[in-house]
Amino acid sequence: MHIAEGYLPPLHAAAWTVAAAPFVVHGARAVVRRVRTDPDSKLLLGAAGAFSFVLSALKIPSVTGSCSHPTGTGLGAVLFRPPVMALLGTIVLFFQATLLAHGGLTTLGANVFSMAVVGPWVAYGVFVLTRRLGGGLALGVFLAAALGDLATYCVTSVQLALAFPDAASGVAGSIAKFGSIFAVTQIPLAISEGLLTVLIMRLLIRVSPAELTRLGVLKPGPAAAPVTVKEAGA
Amino acid sequence: MLPLDAVAYTNRWRPRHPAEKAFLSLGLLTCAVALPPWPGAPVVGVVAAMLLLGPAGVAPRQVWRAMKVPLGFVTVGSLPLLVAVGGTPWIRFEPTGVPLALQLAGRATAALLCLLLFAATTPLADTLPRLNRLGVPPAITEVSALMYRMLFLLLESVRTVREAQASRLGFRTWATSYRSLAGQGGAIFVRAFERARRMEEGLALRGYTGSLRVEVEQRPVSQPFVVATGVLLVVVVVGTLTLRRVLA
Repeated sequence: MHIAEGYLPPLHAAAWTVAAAPFVVHGARAVVRRVRTDPDSKLLLGAAGAFSFVLSALKIPSVTGSCSHPTGTGLGAVLFRPPVMALLGTIVLFFQATLLAHGGLTTLGANVFSMAVVGPWVAYGVFVLTRRLGGGLALGVFLAAALGDLATYCVTSVQLALAFPDAASGVAGSIAKFGSIFAVTQIPLAISEGLLTVLIMRLLIRVSPAELTRLGVLKPGPAAAPVTVKEAGA
Repeated sequence: MLPLDAVAYTNRWRPRHPAEKAFLSLGLLTCAVALPPWPGAPVVGVVAAMLLLGPAGVAPRQVWRAMKVPLGFVTVGSLPLLVAVGGTPWIRFEPTGVPLALQLAGRATAALLCLLLFAATTPLADTLPRLNRLGVPPAITEVSALMYRMLFLLLESVRTVREAQASRLGFRTWATSYRSLAGQGGAIFVRAFERARRMEEGLALRGYTGSLRVEVEQRPVSQPFVVATGVLLVVVVVGTLTLRRVLA
């Protein structure tokens, strides 16, 4: 769920843009450095970005009977790491605003902060933590995708609540109101995205181990075994 | 092709320089969010809609199609302003929230029309190579351009895979639906990276040095258009503030 164009008051829109900027600049500098040392990685990054855009266009069925789109933040963070996702997510959100009118230019900063910064970092943190605690790859991917999705929507609810505090109970009451609409309803969808991401990851391990090795998700070797947490976090 | 992108290639303002359209659309967008929603939102919204449907020649059906989903968010997002929580009863209708919700919906609708004025008249292929002049590093614009070119191929692949899965009853039950969706995700991953690898090989054979610069069609910036836009923006600001004083 993207915050629509013009929805946030100007000061809030500017503040979220400032909050997201350091992460995006950090990601952009990492990408520029990587491209300078390995020009071929430009093509890989283009493929990764296009994959993220198209992944977010898939329709997943929810337990409530409705349909939704995955945020793709969990899978993106595990495959490409959060700094790269901050930049790729920003480009994807810009494309979604200008190609689909989903989101907007004034609300780009707020959407980037929730979907390209907090979502991927929460997902990656959960993935690393699960693996360190001895959880399997499937459990790590499931929790990363589900909690990354949920974190995105919780942040969106907070952004909306800060912009429009409740008349009686202030920001806290407003968080409850927006959270009940945009975050609680998201729980079944987050579970759906988690399950789907596990299935996609299992499929990728089977059909595309070379690319996963190149991305650092699998460690090199004939068996193409999943990397340990220390390697994944490096 | 995505419907909005198709319109961007076929509208009457397609040959105009992207900077002209950005100045007009983003100027109006700034007015939409910065001016008081009443009467700023109706004024900006009507101006943007008239430009979109008139000189730009975008069909009303196409505008409505692009607006449906974001308007859904605006409607649902305005509802919480109509209720208050806390106190007795714990949840109740809040009459003071009605004007606030209307202002919010009005501002968001006007801003959405301004966004569409840019998105429906300017293909991204025209915008991306020119972002370098705004200080965006070439590596970033080139990655964006690659994404733009690849995503249509991938969307087409997903459509084909989905049709094939549906023909084989791949969405009959929950289990088969999830398996089919995972297949779609896996297919786009494999095709995206396969295409990148083939492109890498092709570029290497052509003496790739790290630069993916493409020829950008030179278009002069129309001075009359820029002046008219400046005048229009001043009229919108002064008109809105005058109208506000008159209506107060």
